[in-house]
Amino acid sequence: MASDNTVGAVLVAGGGVAGMQASLDLANAGYYVYLVEKSLAIGGRMSQLDKTFPTNDCSMCIISPKLVEVGRHINIELLTLTDILSIEGEEGNFTVKARKNPRYIDMSKCIACGECTKKCPKKLNNEYNENLDTRKAIYVQYAQAVPLKYGIDAKECIYLTKGKCGNCKKVCPADAVNYDDKPEDISLKVGSVILAPGFAPFKPSDFETYRYYDAKDVITALEFERYLGATGPTMGHVIRPSDHSDPKKIAFLQCVGSRDINRTDHGYCSSVCCMYAIKEAIIAKEHAGGNLDVTIFYMDIRTFGKDFERYYEKAKAAGIKFVRSRVHTVQPEPQNGVMIHYITDGGVSNQEFFDVAVLSHGLVITGETKKLSDELELETDHYNFAKTSTFAPVALSRPGFYACGVFTGPKDIPTSVMEASAAAAASTTKLTSARSTLTKVIHLPAPVDVSGEPPRIGVFICHCGINIASVVDVPKVVEFAKTLPFVEYATNTIFACSQDSQDKLVSLIKEYRLNRIVVSACSPRTHEPLFQETLASAGLNKYLYEMANIRNHDSWVHAGHPAEATRKAMDMTEMAVAKAALLVPLKENIIDVDPTALVIGGGVAGLNTALTLSSQGFKSVIVEKSDKTGGNANRIHSTPKGESVPEYLESLKKKVEEDPNITLILNSQVNKADGYVGNFVSTLSTGEEIKHGVTIIATGALEHKPSEYFYGKNPNVLTQLELDELIKANDPRLNDAKNYVFIQCVGSREPDRLYCSKVCCTHTVHAAIELKKRKPEARIFVLYRDIRTYAQKEDLYKEARSLGVIFVRYDLDAKPEVLEEDGHLKIKAFDPVSGHVLVLSPDFLVLAAAMVSGNECELAMQFKVPLDQDGWFFEAHQKLRPVDFATDGIFMAGICHYPKPMEEVIAQAQAAAARAATVLIQPKMTVGGIVAEINQNKCSGCGVCVSVCPYNAISLDDKGKAVVNEALCKGCGNCASSCRSDAPSLRGFTNAGLFAQIASAL
Amino acid sequence: MSEFEPKIVAFFCNWCTYGAADLAGVSRLEYPPNFRVVRLPCTGRLNPKFILEAFKRGADGVWVSGCHPGDCHYIAGNYYARRKFIVMHYMLDSIGLEADRLRFSWISSAEATKFQHMATDVVEHVRACGPNLKFRKAPLILGMEEVA
Amino acid sequence: MPSLEETTQKIRETAKKALADGKAEVVIGYKKGTYPLSTAPFFARTPEDCDQLIWSNFARINLANYLPGRPGKVAVVAKGCDARSIVGQVAENQFHKDNLYVIGVPCTGMVDNNLIAAKEQRPYRDYSETLDTITLKGADFSTEIKKEEVLRRNCRTCANRTPKTADELVGPEVPGAQADDFADLKELHSKSPEERMEYFKDLIKDCLRCYACRNACPLCYCPVCFVDETRPQWLGKSTDPMDTLTFHLLRGLHCAGRCTSCGACETACPVNIKVREFNRITEETVMDEWGYEAGLSWEQKPPLTVFQPDDEASFIK
Repeated sequence: MASDNTVGAVLVAGGGVAGMQASLDLANAGYYVYLVEKSLAIGGRMSQLDKTFPTNDCSMCIISPKLVEVGRHINIELLTLTDILSIEGEEGNFTVKARKNPRYIDMSKCIACGECTKKCPKKLNNEYNENLDTRKAIYVQYAQAVPLKYGIDAKECIYLTKGKCGNCKKVCPADAVNYDDKPEDISLKVGSVILAPGFAPFKPSDFETYRYYDAKDVITALEFERYLGATGPTMGHVIRPSDHSDPKKIAFLQCVGSRDINRTDHGYCSSVCCMYAIKEAIIAKEHAGGNLDVTIFYMDIRTFGKDFERYYEKAKAAGIKFVRSRVHTVQPEPQNGVMIHYITDGGVSNQEFFDVAVLSHGLVITGETKKLSDELELETDHYNFAKTSTFAPVALSRPGFYACGVFTGPKDIPTSVMEASAAAAASTTKLTSARSTLTKVIHLPAPVDVSGEPPRIGVFICHCGINIASVVDVPKVVEFAKTLPFVEYATNTIFACSQDSQDKLVSLIKEYRLNRIVVSACSPRTHEPLFQETLASAGLNKYLYEMANIRNHDSWVHAGHPAEATRKAMDMTEMAVAKAALLVPLKENIIDVDPTALVIGGGVAGLNTALTLSSQGFKSVIVEKSDKTGGNANRIHSTPKGESVPEYLESLKKKVEEDPNITLILNSQVNKADGYVGNFVSTLSTGEEIKHGVTIIATGALEHKPSEYFYGKNPNVLTQLELDELIKANDPRLNDAKNYVFIQCVGSREPDRLYCSKVCCTHTVHAAIELKKRKPEARIFVLYRDIRTYAQKEDLYKEARSLGVIFVRYDLDAKPEVLEEDGHLKIKAFDPVSGHVLVLSPDFLVLAAAMVSGNECELAMQFKVPLDQDGWFFEAHQKLRPVDFATDGIFMAGICHYPKPMEEVIAQAQAAAARAATVLIQPKMTVGGIVAEINQNKCSGCGVCVSVCPYNAISLDDKGKAVVNEALCKGCGNCASSCRSDAPSLRGFTNAGLFAQIASAL
Repeated sequence: MSEFEPKIVAFFCNWCTYGAADLAGVSRLEYPPNFRVVRLPCTGRLNPKFILEAFKRGADGVWVSGCHPGDCHYIAGNYYARRKFIVMHYMLDSIGLEADRLRFSWISSAEATKFQHMATDVVEHVRACGPNLKFRKAPLILGMEEVA
Repeated sequence: MPSLEETTQKIRETAKKALADGKAEVVIGYKKGTYPLSTAPFFARTPEDCDQLIWSNFARINLANYLPGRPGKVAVVAKGCDARSIVGQVAENQFHKDNLYVIGVPCTGMVDNNLIAAKEQRPYRDYSETLDTITLKGADFSTEIKKEEVLRRNCRTCANRTPKTADELVGPEVPGAQADDFADLKELHSKSPEERMEYFKDLIKDCLRCYACRNACPLCYCPVCFVDETRPQWLGKSTDPMDTLTFHLLRGLHCAGRCTSCGACETACPVNIKVREFNRITEETVMDEWGYEAGLSWEQKPPLTVFQPDDEASFIK
């Protein structure tokens, strides 16, 4: 126990993807988590998405393993339907008062069979599908919801409002309905609080302009997303809502409720709409088989993230039209469709008919969230986003309160996930003394050794109330099971998952000395872990278990064919028994973890990672190539929020130098890297050998040296960082300068460097404001392609314009022309608005040069981690694992991953520390279970398994034979299917086991 | 029932198509009961031998389904699998296995309706092929079957 | 083109030099066979040994087959196809490139003895050969056969006659054949499934499952072959036609992206089955899908060990 009164628990408010990630990182780092969610289930907005950009990953597919992980985590207490009432106390020791609202369903009894919903007579708007179809008064939020438990909408339930009906209670086979459920007030002790309340989509209904309130064929992008979704109201079929016909032409209207101070007071950019519009356009075109015209009406296309620009180009190549314009009128046509009236940036007025107009609505902080901020005395900005500083991007104004996700500004999923991990780290820096004091550990009895025993299989056939038994003849399946080889005991059970059935299972295992268990019930995807825990509690190795899914895959889908369904249930049980007979206990091994981190790169990212790790009590070694720390930040004058970077850097470096947990090694780099998660050994160029449990790559990036626009030839042509250095040094040359021209996208967004460098627009606008403030009479022109001052940075763009900075757009095929006359710069730029060529003679030409990767091929090879085609380090998953490499124990932070502004760099650094902490916290790590193993007698050493392993888990040993590193193997089985001589075998899914299943299927 | 009822062995990856089948169940989407599912962690685990084994043992059809390219739970398992499928598909097609007996598909865990339609479609196509008489082993007369 | 004798001479010189320079401790090449119209593999360790090395129209054996697991430095005589097999073996770690010296022989094709037998059925006592002809001499006759007419079928369509990855070539490059290697397969694809299955069932009806094809194949070096597996047993031990077909299918799949059409398997088959037919299907696939031909450079990655995110597979629904 901690000697002080620090509490080793954290409150996470909001069960969206950010809240879930924060909870997992906290719980895996030794803190108990209360995850509070207002609604029936976690999953948040992401659960509503069909696909995610820029990979077009299926949203539900990637989020559902996380849902399950959160739902089952022993150290995450999920409090659904819960409202926070108050939070008192101070960092380290808060008391949270919350109200658990009644669900009217006993969660321990509900088996989510859905009988209640079938019989509920009340039809209501289905919020999950944006009210495009209906749900009942008793419902689950969505089919894959966690917890997968029904709930009653008390305001609408006929019984709860009028005392009549009661259908659900009558039909519930598990007796889970409880109309007398009452609100319950609870009090929680936590050390810190993470707020992740998310956003609401902007509601266009209040604004006449968009005609959303009355035109059927004007819909929001989230509605369109649901139309695209396979689980949506039309099951993925895009329709024209007015007549349900197939639309031929669809328009997207960008910036609805964003970048708009005339009508909505939302001056900020919502950051994600350009990308989601492109995504929806691409998917819609795919769904329509190409027979669809899509036009996107926009002001600036803001595809600033990793791989976004390529996505934009792909959309253009796919025939999606992009029209730079202002739409001024949306006019519904008499029958169907809408007429869009717009003005191009050349000033031409136009109109065009579309079947459907999709409003790309922005992200909004709700009144409820604003109220929460006020009640908790958290500072917010004028858009109601919670305030943070650049240097502490997830810390809120009140100590002990942290944030992640859209609460602090509009952002996409990976940035939210990064912040979530960062918040997990930041929120626990003051709680380390109480780490692991409140977390639970499962204590299991010593495992019974069953090796050498012949299989004695116990088979349990579940009725699932009437869910299975009403279709499948369960007794017949039981009798059949008794005849199968090695079956020692077979029985039926009403609810296999109920506590009494589990207890019975334990006693039967002992009584009949059962050493393999088969349960024919529901899906292993949801229930296998539960039964495995029961096996373990009976002393049986949890891998001696097999499941037959006779509910989801049988009784529920063959209700009309009971005889065939029974036959199928028998076959499925036989298949499971056949596989079970060949199962062997799987060992889980313990490996040591070296509790030290190696941080490669001593820039802002590296230093922050090391400091965050140190605050968690972990040692790190920073290896820096140059003779000083700070990296690119040494050249930066101030942040767009106006904070001084030199002052920050000075204190950061000092903290690092004084930190006893941090060893800084300058003028060195990694020459050789060996080992794996928990046990790396790296040799530095200094000859020093470092043992470390995790590796964080934070090697930064470089400013591109332009080869155009007289850069390097004329002393008055500068890059952004060079200008910053002049500003920082108060260089006298600036005093005399009156005219500046900035050229954007120098080396970015061009065919051979097809990405946006993300920071340059904001940097230019910020510098222009600074110069204007220093000398208001200065004339500043910015030549740009799209201004990408995303999120609240849009305010700077507005400020620059109001200060008189002139923005002139150019196209890639008509780039500005720079000439030199007698040493003086002369710039010719075509202005598409006026149609004239402007001739400018600036004192300084500032180039927004691209950020380019540091060419880290060698480092990538040493640690066997990938680079993407632009040279950035490539993360394990672009959406949900933005800090991790696919190889366990290696993480990344900062601009070696992709260009990003300093607040995002620091967030990613803290996130990397949080992710690393989940490894370093474990003195011993359990590995094994369902992993591959190699029979070296069969191995020819050809290396095909090494090539196809997605996790670098296989290598050839000194005898040239393959060997699996169990710490890295994730059990995909790619090796086992690729080897010609079947040397690798995937435990739990062996060839013999699968063959037995095939044989008994036929 | 006089009509021929085909027997089909299906290999689904745990994360996507198996999930889609689960969701089809939750949504009570009916489809013919003709296939038996072998759950694999990933389509990358599918050894071409499994497909041959199913046919050899008399399956009238085989259906392999996993995550869409890019959605793999194991980063790239289905990309490698896809290359194996390509080689397998052309091989079996070339030696005269009716194309409709072997189906490959990508079905995400959210695509319950696609699953239902695909399941129905697979069964119909295999049914149209008739019983697998040519691409199977002659039944063993001896009592001792091979050790599985 | 140099004559057979000239090439033989050049091989001997090169072999001796390789031994003398320490590039190899042994040179694997061909010597005259004990049977007529054949050669035998020969391991030359001394300059004297080297004088037994020959070049012939019957150098059909793929000597790469002797490389996997062989210790020490080795020089090997290789035709175009053999050199490609060697690249595959090196890529698959069966032999270390540093220990290898490839003596490349630009090849104009090897002779199929069955075709000779078809042309001249009378018993012969002796034979002689030149680069372009084979002459059979019987008691009362002498028949000259043009090599062109009795080439093995893989040699007829071989596009890679000159070894591209040899350390040294013993003769001038020879142009590859222009014929479409897959013309007959394309024709087969146009037939009905029933006809195709009949064709393949008929093709292998005589198969004894002796595995001579496997043993002759330089790519079949697995310590345990799938045919010998018992748990699970992939194949029955009998000659059930489906088991036999499965054997050939799996061998074809295992050779996908690896087979170099060296023809060793077909030459080895005692019942003259065109066993390479299965490999050719996969060869055609990797060519059509990924433009891949095995063994043409040291850098190429076998197609089933890599992927492209946008690999086309329209048959996947």
